[in-house]
Formats: sequence, C-alpha cells, structure tokens
Amino acid sequence: MLCESCGVFPATTHVKTIINGELSEYCLCAQCAQKLGYGNLTTGLGLSVGSLLGGFFSHMERPEADVVRCKFCGSTFDDIARSGKVGCAECYHTFYNRLIPLIQQIHGNAKHRGKVPGGSQLSVNPQTQLSVMRSELRKAIDSENFEHAAELRDRIRALEGEGQNGKMV
Amino acid sequence: MEKWYEKTGPENDVVLSTCIRLNRNLRDYPFSEKMSRSHQAAVTKCVLQASKDSCILDRFQLQYLPMEQLTKTEMVSLVELQLANPEFISVPEGRGVLLSGDESVSILLNGENHLQVQANEAGLDFEKAYRAADELDSLLEKNLTFAFDETLGYLTQNPMNLGTGLSASLSLHLPALQENGGAARISASLAPLGLSLRAGGGKGSEPKGAVYYLSNRVSLGLSESEAISNLQNIAMQIITQERAARDELVQELEVQDTICRSLGILKSARIMSYEEFQGLISNVRFGISAGLITEIGYEIVERLSFEMQPATLLVMSGKKLTVNERRSLRAQKIKEILKN
Repeated sequence: MLCESCGVFPATTHVKTIINGELSEYCLCAQCAQKLGYGNLTTGLGLSVGSLLGGFFSHMERPEADVVRCKFCGSTFDDIARSGKVGCAECYHTFYNRLIPLIQQIHGNAKHRGKVPGGSQLSVNPQTQLSVMRSELRKAIDSENFEHAAELRDRIRALEGEGQNGKMV
Repeated sequence: MEKWYEKTGPENDVVLSTCIRLNRNLRDYPFSEKMSRSHQAAVTKCVLQASKDSCILDRFQLQYLPMEQLTKTEMVSLVELQLANPEFISVPEGRGVLLSGDESVSILLNGENHLQVQANEAGLDFEKAYRAADELDSLLEKNLTFAFDETLGYLTQNPMNLGTGLSASLSLHLPALQENGGAARISASLAPLGLSLRAGGGKGSEPKGAVYYLSNRVSLGLSESEAISNLQNIAMQIITQERAARDELVQELEVQDTICRSLGILKSARIMSYEEFQGLISNVRFGISAGLITEIGYEIVERLSFEMQPATLLVMSGKKLTVNERRSLRAQKIKEILKN
C-alpha cells in the first residue's frame, strides 16, 4: 500500500485518528510520518523499531536450543525484536545487555534521571543527586532562568542540610 | 461542573492547553501485549483498590468508566476531549478510564501501559499540570509497586518511553506561522532536539484550525524538570515568532475582514459543518489576540472548540442525529453560547 499523504512511497506507519467523529486509520511512509510528527527516532532512519532491534542482533548466531526465555512472561529476545515491544519488567533484566545498545541509540543516554518511586528513594546516592542538581543550577543561571535557579538553590541547601544532619542514608 | 477548558491560562493567545502524562506499569504483571483478560481485570482491580486506599477518588473526584460500557460515539468523544487517544479506544476490551468531574485529571487503564496518569491545564502551565499528575502518581505509588529500574527508570512496553515515562505536550494555535510556512520549518528543525511539532487532528500537514501539538520525545537521561524546561524554552520561542507573524499578517485589510466576517457567520449561520467551524473559530481566536474582537474571550472559544466537535456534540445532545441535523444543532448551539 502506498502512503496516503504523498502517494509515492510504500506505507510503513499506521496511524489511528479521529476524522469527523469517526475512528479511522491512515497509512504513511516513513518520510511523511516524520514530516507529520508521527515518526520516531527509528522511522527517521527509515527503519521500524523491530527491524532496528533485529539489525543489532542479525550478525550473531542464534542456535534454537540456546534460546533464552524470560522466566516471567516467556518472551524471547526475537519476540521483542520482531514486535518492538518488551514483554514485561523482567524482560529488561533478562535481556539487559542486548537491549542497552538499542536504548542508547534511541535515547542517547541510558541512565535514568528524575523521579524514583518512594520505595527506592533510599538507594539514591545524595552526592549524585547533589552533583546533578548543581549542574542543573549552572545551566539555569547560564540561561538566565533565575526563578528555576532560585528553586534549585533552595533544594540543594535543603539536601546539604539533611546530609549534615545524617538524615539521608 | 465547569470543565478545565472553560478557564483561561497563561499565554492563552497562542497556547491552548498544557498536558502532562506519566506512563506507569505494575511490576508484577506482563505489559499490555502479553496480557490476558484476567491480567487486565487484576490490574484494574489493583488500581481501583489503590485509588480507594490512597483517597484519590475523593481528592480528585474520580469516577471509573469501563470502555466496554461506552458507545462508539462516547469513546470518540473522549478522544476529542483529549482524555484518550485513538489507539486506546480502537481496542476497548478490558480498558477503562478514571476521570475527574472537571476532566482535568484522568488515568487510562490497560492502554499501551497499565496506567497513564494525565493532567490538563488551560494555557501554558506546566507547573500546575505536572503538580497534579505528580501528586496523583505519588499517591498511587504508596499502594502500587511500579516497574522501575535505577538505570532505565520506569519500565515501559515501548523502549521509547523509558526513564521518567513523562510525555509533556502543549496545544498551540499557530495561524500566522501556518500561513507563512514557519510551522513546517520549525517542525523539521525540532527532531534533532528530541521534540516534535505535529499538526493536530485529521489527515494532512495543515490542520483546519491551525492547531499544533508540541511534545517531548526523549524521556531517558533527562529529569522531568529538564524535559519540561526544554519544552518551555522552545514554546516561548515559537510563541514569540507566532506573535510577530500575527502582527504582520493582521495589517492586511483582507485578513481583518476575514476575521470579522468569521464571527458574523458563526453568529448567524443556520447550518455549520465541523470543517467550516474549525476555520471560523480559528479566525475568531486570532481576532481576539489582535484586539479586533473584544465581545468574547478565549474561554468561550475554547468551550466552543471542545463542545462543537462531532462526537462530543452528539453525546451532549443525548440524541442520534443525521449529518444535517447535527450541523443544524451545531449552528444553533454556537449562537446560544455566543449570545450568553
């Protein structure tokens, strides 16, 4: 099927949309998907997530007998590669080393920053958090975002205070 | 109850609304593609119980709507009201939404992720929207165990959404940048920055109502505040460009004439298709920002923009109507709302 936007290239992305009160679907080529803002970093390269994942793995040999399955949901790495969809939280641990290159390709930086669920908060090193916040503060000052800078300064002071009082583990 | 979109907000001349979404999954259940109906039922039960235990049902006045109990038109209306996405309603089985009375806060259950916590605010107001979504998320977290990894952040079915699981977006009204080709240029230049500017609604790259969505794409390696501040910075630049382009455009007598006529047609038409309405209301919005229209404000324009959408109009009327009856009802409702 050809792209419904340009009518030239084969459609690779299916987008569901609402047109005049009805649910409908239209099919776009990678270029038009990108142009219309439906693309992602992988369609930008003219690849689907699945083929990108497949690409990472295609040079390696995969003897059937050695196929590793996720103990929780039963997915194999091939399943994830084909669909571009990870089966469950445990898959990320089971296939960690194989998924990391893809994640880095998508996000550029494979280390989470930001909110952590309440239960894990104690394991965050306060020194790491402080250094991240200090660099954020420098950026805020450089970009003259003083309101944000003032807020960061207060949070840094509060964290430093907690560290001295021995509250943070 | 007054809906969130009937209020005005900061930078309302260009920014229609702010939306914050947080994608979360429960650690102990497979992600949506691998879920059975019993998994879905269990996730729904867990989330509803957690909502009850953490008092968020009362705090945000949330009501649960199972998708399977809604008609097709009601589901499409949820999308029109920006409470669900087309993908979510395309497979209603096992899915549901927890929705607040003013529709500013919602949680989608069993969509691409087990939960999608969402908060909407009028105008450019990331702080308020994020605060609401974050509070809801933190309260839920007390009674639910989310899938999380210290390096990868919140774990999601699609590796694109790892990290904060945050999707922040703004609806922008860009009639002048659409007219001078600026919107397409900006859209092309944003991809390398990890942001996207997408034409809103329907097919094609030039939306009828000149509505565009600006959103973040990268969620891993950037904290919530960094992602939001990047988006805010770019939004302010787009707003400045749009305002400058409008100042230039509105000098033309033909443009002034089109704006004033648009309000006239909305006030007096007897039949109004949705396509025609989108163009006219966009002109009126532009007219308000240019000071050419003073008798109505953005809150009326927003109310019309939301409630005159095809499925929403039908749901609010509570009737089954033919296309012509719907167009006639739309014209009549517009007149009523503009009069008041």
